[in-house]
Amino acid sequence: MERIPILKMGDFLIVTIQVDMHDRLVTTLQDDLTSMISSHGSHGVLIDISSLDMVDSFIGRMIGNIAGMSRVLDAETVVVGMRPAVAITLVELGLSLDGVRTALDVEKGMILLRASTRRRLTEEDEDGRDEG
Amino acid sequence: MPAMKLPLLTIEIRLEPDVVLARQRARQIAGLLGFAPLDQTRIATAVSEIARNAYQYAGGGKVEFQVKTGPPSGFQIQVRQRGQGIKVLGAILDGRYDSPTGLGVGILGARRLMDQFDIESTEGGATVTMVKDLPRRSAPLTPQELARISNELAQQSPQGLLDELQVQNQELLRALQELRDRHNEVSELHNRELEATDRGVVALYSELDENAKELRKISELKSRYLSNMSHEFRSPLNTILSMCGFLLDGSGGLSPEQEKEIGFIRKAAEGLAGLVNDLLDLAKVEAGKAVIRVESFEVAGLFESLRGTTGPLLGQGPVALRIEPPEGIATLQTDEGKVAQILRNFLSNAAKFTERGEIVLSARQGPGDTVIFSVADTGIGIEPDDRRRIFEEFSQVEGPVQRRVKGTGLGLPLSRKLAELIGGSVSVRSDPGAGSTFFAVLPRVYRAPDEAEAAGDARWRLDHDRIPLLVVEDDPVDLLLYEKYLEGTGFQILPARTLAEARRVLRRVRPAAVLLDIFLDAESGWSLLAEIKGQASTGDIPILVLTVVDGREQALALGATDFRLKPIDRDWLLGRLDSLAGPGTSPTALIIDDEEADRRLLRGLLAAHGRFSIVEASAGREGLALAAECGPDVIFLDLVMGDMTGFEVLDRLKSDPATGRIPVIINTAADLGADERRRLDPGTAAILSKSPGSAEEAFATIRDALARAGLSLAPSGPGVAP
Repeated sequence: MERIPILKMGDFLIVTIQVDMHDRLVTTLQDDLTSMISSHGSHGVLIDISSLDMVDSFIGRMIGNIAGMSRVLDAETVVVGMRPAVAITLVELGLSLDGVRTALDVEKGMILLRASTRRRLTEEDEDGRDEG
Repeated sequence: MPAMKLPLLTIEIRLEPDVVLARQRARQIAGLLGFAPLDQTRIATAVSEIARNAYQYAGGGKVEFQVKTGPPSGFQIQVRQRGQGIKVLGAILDGRYDSPTGLGVGILGARRLMDQFDIESTEGGATVTMVKDLPRRSAPLTPQELARISNELAQQSPQGLLDELQVQNQELLRALQELRDRHNEVSELHNRELEATDRGVVALYSELDENAKELRKISELKSRYLSNMSHEFRSPLNTILSMCGFLLDGSGGLSPEQEKEIGFIRKAAEGLAGLVNDLLDLAKVEAGKAVIRVESFEVAGLFESLRGTTGPLLGQGPVALRIEPPEGIATLQTDEGKVAQILRNFLSNAAKFTERGEIVLSARQGPGDTVIFSVADTGIGIEPDDRRRIFEEFSQVEGPVQRRVKGTGLGLPLSRKLAELIGGSVSVRSDPGAGSTFFAVLPRVYRAPDEAEAAGDARWRLDHDRIPLLVVEDDPVDLLLYEKYLEGTGFQILPARTLAEARRVLRRVRPAAVLLDIFLDAESGWSLLAEIKGQASTGDIPILVLTVVDGREQALALGATDFRLKPIDRDWLLGRLDSLAGPGTSPTALIIDDEEADRRLLRGLLAAHGRFSIVEASAGREGLALAAECGPDVIFLDLVMGDMTGFEVLDRLKSDPATGRIPVIINTAADLGADERRRLDPGTAAILSKSPGSAEEAFATIRDALARAGLSLAPSGPGVAP
């Protein structure tokens, strides 16, 4: 069965979608990602959709779901590489991808993830000190 | 230019990947039609939404890509769903529908992405028609350009392998569907054919039934017709005959020529009268109207009258009638007229087909209180195939002699019917070319059918002086043959014509041997053979299988002692019987006793088994003489007799070298004292006491005594003679 590969890089998981996904493939990706997050204790997920010419309502909703689930599992999701035409279409469709952080490309996405992770760790340290 | 729709491509939505294919194709076509990348994405997205709906909610559909010509020209996409239409269409389009699966978002979003958007929802499914206006270009879309686009679409496939697979899948599905249709068609055809056949069979059965009924009716009608017509024929015939007689015997006045002519008329009328009489008799028997008049008569008298009627048939020709004087046949008690008629038919038949030689009429006592009449000729004989047929009505064998003689073919069938009527049967043996012999086996005493069942017991009354043999044979002539062979040999035949009769005999008697025919009327003797051999009490009885078809191996395998094909040779049969069960091997016992009753008792005990030939003496002197004369194997001696005591007899026996070695068993009613016992001991094998007791006890005592005397009985229990 075909699958979208998920790469682990340090604390993060990286997914590069390079094929036009049919619906079951998207669902499988969602399941794979959530189980990887919990087994590796990852703190961030980066989804690269630069190869997609089109994101319809289903795929859009699934991306939103992935972000929501990751947040519950204590991981930040960043979607990178969305083409302008795709973005316009998404908005015209009536989807806003609430709660999904986006970045222009992979590099900026990684910076965003590291920054947010560091910030969270610092906050936790401070919390710890307060308690200590 | 009127608005036209030019089809570009159609995609079937059956599986999930088809949705992806549809949106990829949509994007590709949009690209070829000159849409900007943003519009390409919009179109692809809208197609994706609607195609997904078709797949998800209707289980599939069809996406058609078309170009709509002017003005304004546009790219039109029609998605036809299968199944039911969209029920909540109004709510969706108004934006009121909140779907958990995103149905509303899809349709509303697609509408926003396209320039025209229509949904037509019917019972048979929904059709979504979307149009995106073509971008304004320098030149309008020419047919050549459209052809190029179509061409390109056909060549390019965005996802080669998947597409290929899909095409193949679709073909496969179509093939499967076709196959299923054909299969259904064929099975339906089969069912229809089977039903038709069934109906045919049922119809055939009822037709057969109907035919059988019809035949029965016709047969009845025939009998009635024959019976009536024969009467009608008879009276004018009688008139003709009496008139002829009157003319010939009477006043004269006829010229010799006329006399001759009248003679011819009389002869022809007599022939016709005979024929009518035969017909009438046959009809009577068939209609069950025949009356049987039982009377007592002697065979000799019957034969005399037959000589009177048959003689004229033969005249002074080269064929002689010889009547063997019947001997030892008791008075018959049956219908003499019917017996005479049977024999007359046999005789006239023999006379017809015998050109020279002689015809022999004879009678003898048959098995089981029957009389066997036979008429033997030296005529042309009958082929085996024809032997059954000749007893059927109106059948005559073809041949030169047969053609020469006149006949109706009624004589023999009538004989058969008459014989059956008085409880007998007819049969024939024949050597083609050498002659035939017709037999009629008739019960000596006629019994009405319900009485006949009880008969038979008389045939099985045991004669204690002879050794019982069970003969299972349905052919009375063969039975007679065996009886003749065994005459005066010390064997008594217990005849059984059926297996049931044989079983009845076996329940009462333990025969010394069984002669078994395999082909009985409707039964097979094999089962009886297995039955006898399978039971402990009868398993050791020797069985000789005598039949007409070779089955030696099967017979021996089933336990038969020997097998022989008919005809059976007398010497062989006697030899086998003697060696198996005959007096030659069975020991001789001498009983010396003045009491008739005691002798009888002892004889019964020994004879029920057919193992001893018994010699009796009613006095001491007679006993001594017999002992010297026949040298018995064992002597049973009574101690108290009229002329001399047993002690004296014993002493005389022992002192004679010829009889000194014969074991003696003392059979006495006296209570012996010790002295007497001592005196007896050296010369005797055993002492029996004539005490009243059960048959089994007596049998066991005798067996022990015999064993001490060096003789032994068969290991089975005592057979109880009736």
